[in-house]
Amino acid sequence: MARQPPDATPEPSSELPPDADDPSRRVFVQRLTFMGGGVVLLGGGCKEAPKADAGAAPVTANRPQALTTSHLTFTNEDFAVMAAACERVLPKDEDPGALDANVPEYVDRILQTPQLENMKRNFVPGVAALDRRCQRMFKVGFAQATAEQQDEVLTIFKNSPETSGEARWYEMLVVLTLEGFLGDPTYGGNKGRVGWQLVGFTLVGDKTADPSKGYDGSKALMGLRCGTGKGC
Amino acid sequence: MPMDAVDVVIVGSGAGGAPMALELGKAGFKVVVLEKGPWYKQDEFVHDEILNSRRNFFMPLPWDEPHLWRAGPDKPFSRTNEAWTANCVGGGTVHMSGFFYRLKPIDFRLKSELGAIKGANIADWPISYDELEPFYERAEEELGVSGNAVPHPFLEPRKKNYPLPPLAEHPVSLEIDKVCKSLGFHSIPTARAIATTPYKGRGTCVYCTLCGSYGCETGAKGSTLAALIPQAVATGNVEVRPRCMAVEVTVDEKSGNAKSVVYLDPEGVRQEQPAKVIVVSATAVESARLLLNSQSKRFPKGLANNNGLVGKNLLFSSFGQSKATFRVSKQKGTHPWLEAVAPFVNRSLQDFYVMPDERFGFRKGGTLGFMWAHPNPIFAAVGMARKGEPGIFGKALKDKLREYRDSRILEFEIYGEFLPTDDTTVAVDSNVKDKYGLPVAAITIKRHPLDLVMTRFLVERGEEVLAAMKPDRLDRVGTAGETAILQGGTCRFGKDELTSVLNKDCRAHQVKNLYVVDGSFMPTSGAVPITLTIVANSFRVAKGLVERMKKGGT
Repeated sequence: MARQPPDATPEPSSELPPDADDPSRRVFVQRLTFMGGGVVLLGGGCKEAPKADAGAAPVTANRPQALTTSHLTFTNEDFAVMAAACERVLPKDEDPGALDANVPEYVDRILQTPQLENMKRNFVPGVAALDRRCQRMFKVGFAQATAEQQDEVLTIFKNSPETSGEARWYEMLVVLTLEGFLGDPTYGGNKGRVGWQLVGFTLVGDKTADPSKGYDGSKALMGLRCGTGKGC
Repeated sequence: MPMDAVDVVIVGSGAGGAPMALELGKAGFKVVVLEKGPWYKQDEFVHDEILNSRRNFFMPLPWDEPHLWRAGPDKPFSRTNEAWTANCVGGGTVHMSGFFYRLKPIDFRLKSELGAIKGANIADWPISYDELEPFYERAEEELGVSGNAVPHPFLEPRKKNYPLPPLAEHPVSLEIDKVCKSLGFHSIPTARAIATTPYKGRGTCVYCTLCGSYGCETGAKGSTLAALIPQAVATGNVEVRPRCMAVEVTVDEKSGNAKSVVYLDPEGVRQEQPAKVIVVSATAVESARLLLNSQSKRFPKGLANNNGLVGKNLLFSSFGQSKATFRVSKQKGTHPWLEAVAPFVNRSLQDFYVMPDERFGFRKGGTLGFMWAHPNPIFAAVGMARKGEPGIFGKALKDKLREYRDSRILEFEIYGEFLPTDDTTVAVDSNVKDKYGLPVAAITIKRHPLDLVMTRFLVERGEEVLAAMKPDRLDRVGTAGETAILQGGTCRFGKDELTSVLNKDCRAHQVKNLYVVDGSFMPTSGAVPITLTIVANSFRVAKGLVERMKKGGT
């Protein structure tokens, strides 16, 4: 990977923009409320999405690197960083972890849905920021760092001021990882239902509630668009 | 270019709109129902948490169609999807849990019975419980409510038991009964809008466990989508237009009557549907917003708002909750019921619905409903991970997930009186527009201090019940919440047109052919989930409207 540009600000720096009442980045919002099921929306609207940005072209976030990818949202380098971060959120131990469940595949795919357009714009540069932070601290990229080093960087992001870009990015990482681990397998994650097995969730598939054959969550999401029926 | 006029246009197809559509259609009137959301078919209701609970399947995205929310007039607004209910044909009844309680006679005359409360704008209703009772019976019959109305000291008068037998219960329900008895409380079965036998062509409950936040794939849940809309359409007189967003209700400047509803069709094209009568039923927040956005020379502050009351006295339901966690591996010996698998607890306490005196600082209380924690795993896991300093990831998070697998979480929710205050309101903010370009609803909440005293008291009583069952953990979720999917108050009904928006028929005092039939009409919240009351009231209003229209009136 090419050398990173020098940093203008000393540690701890905040290179991700802070939250300016942008609900698409407040993914942990779970108000004290009545519907236990938790209607908790996350993601970005498609209202202002420039069409050129909405396609499959990976966002490089000004990183001087080759534009090669075998993924939908991320460059190969960013994908490796994101996958490593997901695995630290849910590491493999005696039970399967995020990689076993194909969580990075989920994250890559779900960020292509129109509902998460804003989130994609916020999340992808955050992956690069995580990698740069790791480079600065340990002189090694996040994907190559040790688990202890990775956890240290993630903890800094986690404990950043609540409205900082770092804290918001950490929240997105955790929520996307948990969605990929515990969501319907048709989105690409929860491979072999390992996530559901871990938490003992057995309610899908043993009743009429099993999504019918051919059901694809991503396609159902695409069908929702923004609800106007007119596109966005 | 306006379309041909119909007899009635109804904005909204949920608990309020659908009964009106059915009754008017049956009486032979031509009805158009405008629904902003899609018309889902039963087989589109799949148990996919991401689709149902975490994206815009039911709720709009908060950056497309935000509500503004602030905790008091001196606080800044933030954008949220709070206080939306499902945007689809059937509205909130599609993703409700279907806890169907009636109000009690005292709810109709709170001020007379308990006296004025300083800082709270409570008012008696212009109708009595007895006037609504036949329509409660009708609503329970139409939606197919299952339950068992056992005698208890707080039971409201009713002529019949529920039309359907109760759901099978988890054995924990009997444990709750035992504990409550020992504490001197009266645990009572909770009625549900869930069909337990084949009913009116609908499927029966398959005990899938995913009720709240989901649509029902068998039609057992008594949503208006499953129970009323098909009947209404079958009359041949009712046309439902999904994905049609109402923009404004126009006014005939000469007569001052409502003239038409202007809306955006599924292609985003502006349409105008004139009608003799216009019924608004889009939730208390959204109905107020529609009226406030309907400005004209005769109604410069919004339709039916020349006394400035539209959007005032907003009501939610006071909310509190605690959770008891039982570890199966540790407790299955002493708590053999922990290994049973069944979704329904269906137990309530109404011992504290009205307090006999002031000794605890409040008189009007509420209802406790017991249930298993919702099984949505992503929701549960996100709650475990949390954020900031206390947030966890890695092995700590996985340990929590494993602990969760070994846990049964029994919880209760409070449905408490929510006192109307001067500073709990809905307004419109012309600076913030939704994706349609319409000013959004701006909600200000300034809770009455008695609500919080009351909710805390009820939570403590519920915790006594849970603690007596010897859980491994007892966690208080909170005592100062509000349930924003249960909404009322913004167009309160009353006898005096200076102090209310609607008359006892739920017709606007100032506009002789405009009705509002969601929870907006309620001057006080009651202390149960109000869905059944909205449905019953809508049947009542429809009866009066049909009679008047048959005589050529409105």
